[in-house]
Formats: sequence, structure tokens, C-alpha cells
Amino acid sequence: MGSAAVARHGKRVVSAPKSALDAALLAAHAAGDKERIAQIYAKAADDMGAASAAFYLTHAYVFALDAGLSEAETYRRALVELGAEPTG
Amino acid sequence: MPDDLIKHDLDSVLAPISRANGLPNAHYTDPATIARENRAALGHQWAALAVGADVPENGDAKPIEFLGQPLLLLRDDTGAVRVFFNICRHRGMILVDAPRKIEGAIRCPYHSWCYAKDGRLVATPHVGGPGQNQHEGIERATLGLKEVRSHIWRDVVFINLSGDAPDFETQHQAALTRWAEFEKPLYHGGEDSRFTLDVNTNWKLAVENYCESYHLPWVHPGLNSYSRLEDHYHIEEEQKFSGQGTLVYRQLKDEKGQSFPDFEGLSQAWDTAAEYIALYPNVLLGVHRDHAFAIILEPVAHNRTREHVHLYYATPKTDPALRAKNAKLWKDVFIEDIFVVEGMQKGRAAAGFDGGRFAPAMDGPTHMFHQWVAQRLRDTESGL
Repeated sequence: MGSAAVARHGKRVVSAPKSALDAALLAAHAAGDKERIAQIYAKAADDMGAASAAFYLTHAYVFALDAGLSEAETYRRALVELGAEPTG
Repeated sequence: MPDDLIKHDLDSVLAPISRANGLPNAHYTDPATIARENRAALGHQWAALAVGADVPENGDAKPIEFLGQPLLLLRDDTGAVRVFFNICRHRGMILVDAPRKIEGAIRCPYHSWCYAKDGRLVATPHVGGPGQNQHEGIERATLGLKEVRSHIWRDVVFINLSGDAPDFETQHQAALTRWAEFEKPLYHGGEDSRFTLDVNTNWKLAVENYCESYHLPWVHPGLNSYSRLEDHYHIEEEQKFSGQGTLVYRQLKDEKGQSFPDFEGLSQAWDTAAEYIALYPNVLLGVHRDHAFAIILEPVAHNRTREHVHLYYATPKTDPALRAKNAKLWKDVFIEDIFVVEGMQKGRAAAGFDGGRFAPAMDGPTHMFHQWVAQRLRDTESGL
């Protein structure tokens, strides 16, 4: 199951992302643009309610880690604040 | 094969060279015998896997299968080269399926668990449920990539899969001492200084042929014009390595008479000397005043070996044309050996062949390797 599909699967447990979000994610995955993927998920996390922010932020964090982006640490700290990521 | 027959045959291999036989046919043709032998002679030893130049830059990763084990050669952000099992600690998925640069972390393509380049597990997305990346049952500190014991010497990456061999420096002290003068920085010549020969033979036959100079005038007549059989000597370090040396090495020169720069500080003896050793089990090394090489023997199947050849120099920059000429020279020599090692492999199908006899004055280095394999089997199977 690809990450975009995971995001769609996430509709059942978080508020539904907009179709524009889906389209942007699919395009970024098709291009293999991990930095863009991380940005889209981070934006989605901002746009969603607190309950679903951690879900999208997790994806932003994973792709930022994968791509070696400096934003990864920012996302990690945000996840720690949400109680979604271990401290330290 | 009955155990008593194995014992008898290995007794014959371990006998003095004047009455010894080579390893029995089964060690070249029988998968069950070879599986036992691989465990003893490769898995429990310091086996050559690759070279550091296979991952030249920080973050470079190369998946390698060795004895059926999925491994990952990885250079981390500090430049340290490590070997890991190439699988996720979650569901055992292969992590890296082709050589590539790891930009940030190694992300498993299945559920996106992420590992730092030093092997630490750094992300476990949704492991505690959607949007929850921690769970009391998942201790990241205990779930890093499994590292394989490794050591680098002369840029060759050695691994000890069983984890119980003596330290590399202890195991190979004699080789380190013998070539102490060559403990200098080595520079891989780059893409024009590496090639792979795919050979239909058991890896041991490549060692056996490399060890001895007896075949040189017959198989490499070009060498005989300046490097005669009597200019060579045996190198024999029991249970460690064996090979041959020459006293008449001549440097390669270009049209202007230029040669490669020498390794610094070598004693005068090396002006015209060169040595070639098979460091047991599976790496063939050569040193000269101005260049060196390493041949990693990859045991692909009982009758198939990939010979990965790498040429090294004393300085980072050398003349490309001369490098290409040197690579061609060695490639031509190594290709000349192929019909021999493939012919011996085919010959091992002959029913009743007793492993062959050794020329007592000429085959000492090769017999020494046979003895080493036989002794490793004895030791491993008796629990030593």
C-alpha cells in the first residue's frame, strides 16, 4: 500500500482531506519528490483539527527524514508536543 | 556422504604434500557438502565482501547478497563503512533493493519505519495506532538494524557472519606484518580501474590457481618473456595465506617513459619485487611499488564465481591513459586464467577423481589452501 493510499485510508480515522490534497499528494509521489510530499503533509496537518494533525505530521516527518530535510527536526518536536513521538 | 568417508578424504588432504590429494569432488559439485564447507570456510572466517570504494561517498548504500544473506554496505555521515542485514526489524522487508544514495534516513518501503545511517531505529509511524508513533512494546533502542561484524584492510571490507572469529588483526597478524611497508593510503583508480569477471567455477579453484606460479609459463606466455618461472618464489603462511612473489617486477610506462608514483617509504627490495597472496578465504591481493589490486571472489553458486577486480594507486590522481593501460594488462592476464578454472570445475564431474596430486616442489601454496579448507571443516564440525 503506497503512502498516498495510506493517506486515503486515513479518511476513515481522520477528517477527510480535500480532493485537491489527494491530487497534490499523488502528483508528488509520482514525481518521487519527497520534499514536496513532506510539505503537503505538513500543510495538511496545519489545516486539520488536532485529532488528525498528528497523522499528517507523522507523514511529513517520515518523508522529511527520508529526504534528509532540516524540517524533520521541527516536525519531530511538533509530534512530541502532540504526544505522538517519544521525547529525546 | 558417510562421515567415515569424509574423514578419510580429509586425512588425505591434510597429509604432507608429497602424498596428499586435493579436496574431493564433492567440494566442487555437491551442494550439501558445499553448504557445510561455506559455513566453515566463509561464514566462520573473515570473508571478503566488497571494497570501500563500492560506497565512495557518505550516504552511499549498496545491497549485497552473500551466502544467501541479504546485506547492506553503507557509508554513514562520518565516512564510516558498516555492514548491516538489509532488512527491516518490523516485518523483515528488504530495505534497499539497488545501490543508491541515502539522503536522510533509510525508510522501509513497506510501513515506513526509518533507520539512521548508523543503524538506529528513528521512526515507527502509527505503531501505536493512527497518528501515534510510540508503543510500550516497541523499544526503538533495541530495534536498530542488525550489524554484521566487519573490518576494513587495504580497502577490502571483510565480514565475519558467525561473529565468533578472532579479531581481524589477530587472525591476520602475519599478513599485516609481511606487508607493513604498504600500510599507506590507497586510492582506487575509479570506474576505469574496476571490472568483474563472471566465471563458471567454484571460488576455491580461483584461489588455487592464483596461489601458484607453476602455471605462469604455460597459461601466461606473455609474462614469461621477462618474468620467468625461476624469478618467482612461494609465499606460505600456514593456515593464513599463501601465494607467490616475483623478483623482476617492471613498472608500466607510457610513451614518455612516465610511470605511476610509488608508495612512499618502501625499502629498496620492492624496486623490482611484487607479491601476490590469497588471504584465506576469498580475496586475492597484489602489491607492487606503484600499484596494488584486490580481487574479491563472490561465491555465487557451487560452480559460479564473480571475480570483482579493483586497482589502487599511491596518489589520488593518476594518468587516465596509463591507468586504462594497466587495467587492460591485468584484465588480459586474469582472462587468460578463466579456461583453467572453468576446465578444472568441469573436470570435477569425473567419477573417481581422487582430488588430484600436487607437484611437491611447485604446488605448496595451493596444497596449503586445501589444507586450510579441510582443517576449517574439521574444526567447525568438531565445535572448535
